[in-house]
Amino acid sequence: MTDVRPHQDIATPAGDIAKPIKSELLHINMGPQHPSTHGVLRLFITTDGEMVTKVVPYLGYLHRCAEKIAEGNTYHQYIIYTDRMDYLAAMNCNWTYCLAVENTLRSLGVEVEIPEYAEYVRVIIGELNRIASHLIAFGTYGLDIGAMTPFFHALREREAILNIFEKVCGARLMYSYYDVGGVKWDIPDDAMDEIKLFIDLFPAKLDEYNELLTGNKIFVERTANVGVLDAATCIDYGCTGPVLRGSGVKHDLRKDDPYSIYDRFDFDIPVGTGTVGTVGDCWDRYHVRMLEMYESWRIIQQAVDRIPPRGEVMAKMPKNLKVPPGQGYYRAENPKGEMGFYIISDGGTVPFRCKTRSPAFHNLHIIEHVGKGQMISDLCATIGSLDLVLGEIDR
Amino acid sequence: MHETLSNLPLLSGLPAQVLVVLAMVSAGGIILGCIAVGGMFFIWSERKVAGYIQSRYGPMYVGGWHGVLQSLADGVKLLLKEDIWPEKADKPLWRMAPLLVFLGAFLSFVVLPFGPNFVGANLDIGLFYVMATSSLVVMGVISAGWGSNNKWALYGALRGAAQVISYEIPLGLALLPVVMSTGSLNLGTIIQAQAGWIHNWHLLNPLFFVSFWIYVISSLAEVNRVPFDLPETESELVSGYHTEYTGMKFAFFFLGEYADMFVVSAIGVTVFLGGWYSGIPALDVPALFPLIFILKSFFLVFVQIWLRWTLPRLRVDQLMYVCWKVFIPIALANLLLYGVIRTVLS
Amino acid sequence: MVKFVTDIWDTFSTVFKGMGITARYMRKKPVTQQFPEERWALPDRFRGFVHNDVPRCTSCTLCAKACPVDCIYIEMEGKGKDRRMTRFAIDYNKCIWCSLCTEPCPTNCITMSHDYDHSVYLREKLVYEFVGDPVIPFKPKKAAREEEAEA
Repeated sequence: MTDVRPHQDIATPAGDIAKPIKSELLHINMGPQHPSTHGVLRLFITTDGEMVTKVVPYLGYLHRCAEKIAEGNTYHQYIIYTDRMDYLAAMNCNWTYCLAVENTLRSLGVEVEIPEYAEYVRVIIGELNRIASHLIAFGTYGLDIGAMTPFFHALREREAILNIFEKVCGARLMYSYYDVGGVKWDIPDDAMDEIKLFIDLFPAKLDEYNELLTGNKIFVERTANVGVLDAATCIDYGCTGPVLRGSGVKHDLRKDDPYSIYDRFDFDIPVGTGTVGTVGDCWDRYHVRMLEMYESWRIIQQAVDRIPPRGEVMAKMPKNLKVPPGQGYYRAENPKGEMGFYIISDGGTVPFRCKTRSPAFHNLHIIEHVGKGQMISDLCATIGSLDLVLGEIDR
Repeated sequence: MHETLSNLPLLSGLPAQVLVVLAMVSAGGIILGCIAVGGMFFIWSERKVAGYIQSRYGPMYVGGWHGVLQSLADGVKLLLKEDIWPEKADKPLWRMAPLLVFLGAFLSFVVLPFGPNFVGANLDIGLFYVMATSSLVVMGVISAGWGSNNKWALYGALRGAAQVISYEIPLGLALLPVVMSTGSLNLGTIIQAQAGWIHNWHLLNPLFFVSFWIYVISSLAEVNRVPFDLPETESELVSGYHTEYTGMKFAFFFLGEYADMFVVSAIGVTVFLGGWYSGIPALDVPALFPLIFILKSFFLVFVQIWLRWTLPRLRVDQLMYVCWKVFIPIALANLLLYGVIRTVLS
Repeated sequence: MVKFVTDIWDTFSTVFKGMGITARYMRKKPVTQQFPEERWALPDRFRGFVHNDVPRCTSCTLCAKACPVDCIYIEMEGKGKDRRMTRFAIDYNKCIWCSLCTEPCPTNCITMSHDYDHSVYLREKLVYEFVGDPVIPFKPKKAAREEEAEA
């Protein structure tokens, strides 16, 4: 799909009357209200027939000045704004932000001792949210390819996770559950039972998804060898997460730069292998997510087995949290990729500057590179495989 | 039919020409009513099947039991909706398109054989006629796409045109062996060739087995259903050729699609599944013929619905690949093989 | 040619496998609820509309300070013994149900209730006024003394 017919007048057969047929490129706005742009992304595409010759993403339809808001809110208050970045994995965004604040404090000489129990709770809840986020990615990818049923089946399993979260923190989407120094509440007994039930039931569901969609010949034909990204390009564009791993790069911060207590668990980093096509095609990116759900399931299983008896959930933190003058950056592996917060403090209760490095923002921009020379259908498949969430792209 | 009408005491005095027109209008009205009611039933059943496949209920409230009247309520809603016209639409084409789409399905109903004497017009070229009228749909699709003055609609229309024209060939080639076997294009004659026990059905004849599968799959493409719903592709082309349509015009597209589904299923039943015969001679009483025919057609429609909620869709070039490089060669080889075997056996 | 045949076989077998799964679900009972009739049992920690128990409110404004979106309005009159709370309002247009306001409350009078459907037609109606006539703010120490005296 790389040879694009150059834009030119097509000569007609010989004859005096026959004038050359004038052919034009077609400029189309794909979005911001397009069903497969996953929110309010606007792609300005130029097409030659079914072929896309140019893709330009336009952003800003969901811009809420989150970074500026951070400068007017205390460190605790800003947690709720991180919920609204990657709203499909709000727990992980909370967690990354809390990690950033805690590590900035530590690097500036303030001791933050997070209780053991809270660390385990953080891992369990974070990995559950990773599964929930990948389930949505799986379901909406089915929608992009035209299969509607996997989406509903994925939502059904996600509901089970959301029910757990509702019991744990009282909300289903915007959790603000993690806090600087721990988590806000413990995991109640009934939620723990539900987590165990989920652990028992989930692998069977995963097999069913694989049978329904992953192995389907039409699905494989639609995604294999489509939107191929080689490792070097991915690294050049700053792609992280499943997009980078789909291209065969074994990079996962949970292993490479372990934070929290991830070094205590036994899990693998799935990478794209090009099973049905080329390494780094849409199918690989999709399949990496499916395998990652299984790995997250393994981590949750181990964490639930080893969780210490219920105890303190919060470190001893001052009521009015002040960060000494200085700065710190911390990153963590979110479902979409590597998320980071860069905090500069001038010693007050609010950050002087809080910059967010959001994974989907960097993953999105590769579309300009890979979208060239694809068909419109392939472009939709590629966008879906990048798993974009506009909340964190625009912030 | 106009003879029946002239026997009624109220109408006996009218001249023959008026009676013919009356007969035509009333027959049309009956078919229209059947399509509307049938279409509503199919829409409701599609939503219920989709719901249960996806672990949910689907419509549950309107009309009491499991929301049976939901489609009626939706129809009323569509009737009352504002009819929005794109400012720069090509008005005549834009207005004509839904009618053309509907007409294609409507005309095909005329020859559908619900029973030996229960058929609108017993044409000798029935099968050919159905093939011809069902391709009228593509005219509607193209004029809808062009008339809307919308780029997505144009894409949908061009895809639709390419798809329907391509898939008519394997569709026709798949039906030809049966026509060779029965020696007639009359739908009634084709059915009568399958009378008796179930093994007389063309489906169970090994020579027509390949034909049946090619027919079923190509008919999906012919009526733009998943996995061949490229003219609509709601995730790529927003809504394809009917992006700009609202209200009753949209309802006509919708109704036309479901009527078309029934037509291709009915033809499949006629040609391969024994038409009005139940497969057990004892059950073949004339009163049951329409019921058996309709039930069989419903089953094929159900399979189409079932497939829609299971499969992803193909890409445009793969669609063409499947048609020209898979179905047409196989169908041609099948036709040739059938001809050879027939000649050798006779 | 071999690939041609295996491709066709793959397509048919995977399609039938998928149809088998969907057929299995067609026979199962749906998992969804018929919402207005059946309702979800809300967990204890459910974060619904914020509620303020005014008789126990000390009008210390800690909740208003904690609120990240400034949706709690507290107005007061007078000083010392004459201090009256004239307004305690929550603007649910702005509220994001984060429960940060409940944490600093000294008397736990501001809580997350289990209500979740307060649909209205006008945005103005989502500004809930909790105080009608000016009220004397609750004094925990005085109340404790009174309780002791009663006992």
